[in-house]
Amino acid sequence: MRRPSPSLLRQVVRRTGQAAATLLLVLATVFLLAHLAPGDPLSGASDAESFHRISPEREQAIRDLYHLDEPLHRQLLLWFGDLARGDLGRSFHDRTLVRDKILQRLPITFGLNLFALVFMIGLAVPLGALAAWRPGSALDRWAGASTYGLYAIPVFWAGLLLQILFAVRLGWLPLYGIAGPDAQELSWWLRMADRAAHLVLPVVCLGYGGLAYLSRFVRANLLEGAQAEVKRAARARGMSEWSVVVRHGFRQAAVPMLTLAGFILPALVGGSVIVEEIFAIPGLGRLFVNAVFQRDIPVIMALTLLSGTATLAGILLADLGYLVLDPRVRRG
Amino acid sequence: MKIRLLSSLALLMAALVLMVACGSPTPAPSAEIRAVLPTDPLTLSPVGKNDRNSELIGMQITDSLVQYDHELRIVPRLATSWELSSDGRTVTFHLRDGVRWHDGEPFSSEDVLLTISKAREPATEARSYMSQFERLVALTAPDRLTVVAEYEKPNPDFLESWTIPILPAHLIAPEEDLLTSEFAAHPIGCGPFRFVSYSPGQSVVLEANDDYWDGRPGLDRIEFRIIPDERTSYQALLTGEVDLLSVSPPIWRESRTSESAAHLDRFTFSRLNVWYLAWNQDPAGPFTDPETRKAMMLALDRNTFIDTVLYGLARPGTTTYHPDTHWADPSLSPRPYDPDRAAALLAEAGWADSNGDGILDRNGRPFRFTLLYPRGSQEIAPRMAAWMQQSWSDLGIVMEIESLEWRAFLERRNAGNFHAVMATLSFSSPSPDQFELYHSTARGGVGFNFFGLNDPEVDRLLEQGREQFDPEKRLATYHRLQQRLYELEPLGCVFHFASPVLHKPDLTGLEPSPLDLWRHWPGPRSWRRAGDGD
Repeated sequence: MRRPSPSLLRQVVRRTGQAAATLLLVLATVFLLAHLAPGDPLSGASDAESFHRISPEREQAIRDLYHLDEPLHRQLLLWFGDLARGDLGRSFHDRTLVRDKILQRLPITFGLNLFALVFMIGLAVPLGALAAWRPGSALDRWAGASTYGLYAIPVFWAGLLLQILFAVRLGWLPLYGIAGPDAQELSWWLRMADRAAHLVLPVVCLGYGGLAYLSRFVRANLLEGAQAEVKRAARARGMSEWSVVVRHGFRQAAVPMLTLAGFILPALVGGSVIVEEIFAIPGLGRLFVNAVFQRDIPVIMALTLLSGTATLAGILLADLGYLVLDPRVRRG
Repeated sequence: MKIRLLSSLALLMAALVLMVACGSPTPAPSAEIRAVLPTDPLTLSPVGKNDRNSELIGMQITDSLVQYDHELRIVPRLATSWELSSDGRTVTFHLRDGVRWHDGEPFSSEDVLLTISKAREPATEARSYMSQFERLVALTAPDRLTVVAEYEKPNPDFLESWTIPILPAHLIAPEEDLLTSEFAAHPIGCGPFRFVSYSPGQSVVLEANDDYWDGRPGLDRIEFRIIPDERTSYQALLTGEVDLLSVSPPIWRESRTSESAAHLDRFTFSRLNVWYLAWNQDPAGPFTDPETRKAMMLALDRNTFIDTVLYGLARPGTTTYHPDTHWADPSLSPRPYDPDRAAALLAEAGWADSNGDGILDRNGRPFRFTLLYPRGSQEIAPRMAAWMQQSWSDLGIVMEIESLEWRAFLERRNAGNFHAVMATLSFSSPSPDQFELYHSTARGGVGFNFFGLNDPEVDRLLEQGREQFDPEKRLATYHRLQQRLYELEPLGCVFHFASPVLHKPDLTGLEPSPLDLWRHWPGPRSWRRAGDGD
């Protein structure tokens, strides 16, 4: 096997370092923004405002539990110190471990996003390929128009319509949640079926909007890849139009596709607030939004760390992919 | 290839649908109900950094020494009786014998002592109980079934604080942090329902306590489904997955005409809340005198707004003394809609359009102000703000509207950094003591008097009412206070809202109290499920 060249190794180290520095900067910025935003993390929720007075000493004792009166830079250092020990701290909201909160919701969000991606790619790639097969044809125009039409439909509306149709009127699919009320008592197979049924509507809601972008992306790249002399040569060899698109188009399209792959990693851990609200799914999106409203800084920071790491890792992997696949990047 | 792909997708969908059809949820057993919580309970500990959901669940799991019934009277629960010493500073509670925790251990005075000491610890963050027990100087247990509480000063409302849910001392170490303890994850009480399970973001399940000292509840099981979106929970009610739902005014109206909701029973009940307009009485603003503040209220056609926008779900307010408590002064009534009188009062207060620009002014300053309200929770708020803006502009007053997210709103409001604010205030007890709302020492971010009322007469009456034990005299004091408040109008009480509830007809025994549908005695304990469920 060929050993990686020293210049490649240097590039890898440099880019990883850059990503780590960016992550630190992002974390520090989010920390400051969260603290400087108006509103006290310890002020009550809107549904339970009543008047009471406690002594200043007790009030201070509560604030001290959260180190809220320490200087900001000290609070930030405390947070990084805990992080270095693998401790994400406790939520300001209910004082449960932030780690537990995230671990409870991460598999749900991850699973949902994974299925949504499969749904999206599974439909977008054939759609894009079909469109690229005969560019400008009725099929191409139809695929474009319908995916753009879907793209224009707001999720909350689509979600409501799908609920009314499939859950209320037809009764085929569950209305909300990730498991039925009696799921615990079902056999493994039925429980999985119950899970799958609960996933259908949210997955469709998460996925349909991206179809337009993804299928057009596939189409454009296939066309570009298949346009060149390669295509003509292939045709000259007597290959069918379809295999020209598939065999040459896909290979040429691999590099731009890698850019897209860079976005998949963060997309897997990012929650969708609207879909989670409508379908009552306990995922990371709602956790994050509630944390922002509650000024629950430890949760905000942990989720920033998670999505920041995923985003930067995605970009880093895509970059490294270029380095390996495309010699021009390596030299430049 | 494409055909095969599409058809296999279709097959997959069909298979899924079939599987679901087979595995669809079985109908609920007859004595089970499913209700909705819009958010997760903050904690499962009945005493703690509580929100409404935690209290609601805590009250089913455990009991308190005394509790409010649905007519806001105090009824004995874990305490069978109590005596007050002649100086009003010491109260002796006699506890009920034979009460057992869900794990079989007997209830005793130790449990009461532990509960109060935990409630007063800053780490528990039970702010409301902490403040109620602030004036408690000693709490002792002479024997297993007696508790003696000694207060710094006599307090006629001392029983209010004893509605605190009691915790089991044998399961909570004194030095333990209650909120992060094992107990908070698996609470055990001595109430009518036992805690079964909690799945964050999904559900909380309770089951009947067969050995409840006051008789087994009529329901076998209560399942709270956590559904944040109101539309979704309404659809769940229509499909029968949920049995009971509190709804907002728009859904209430929709349900009255919708055929799919025709099979449901419905009722509304009054709550101890007030939708208020607080006028900043800072001399720099326009609301320094009572005439101006009264004029603002007279210019609002509240009854029309209630009929057209609020679907009849509100009543005009008079003062913060809610008409459904016996403290309300019946001689006072809501200010009527009277724009002419409003204009006259404004003129009396020195407002006139002296430069002819259509805007009132006084001492060279135009009548312009900003109404601040919290965004989000109440979708009715923007419409109310627009209605007020219109009503007041007819008088020559210019109002800007500003809405802020809740915690940012609180910061601005409590710092007194506003002209006028609009929000709701809920009362957690029928106590007439509104010291923290109106007393001059509750200004400046200390209490709730962020609008800055400073009136010696109000202060005197508030202090007096706090010390009177004689019910007649006390009532007279608070009537006098309401009359004074009515003259001063420091806080405009725009509406008292009612809560609409939709439920399946076979769920019976629902008897709400002005405190809540769930949080009173007997509450869900007396609910029944007739017939066979679905």
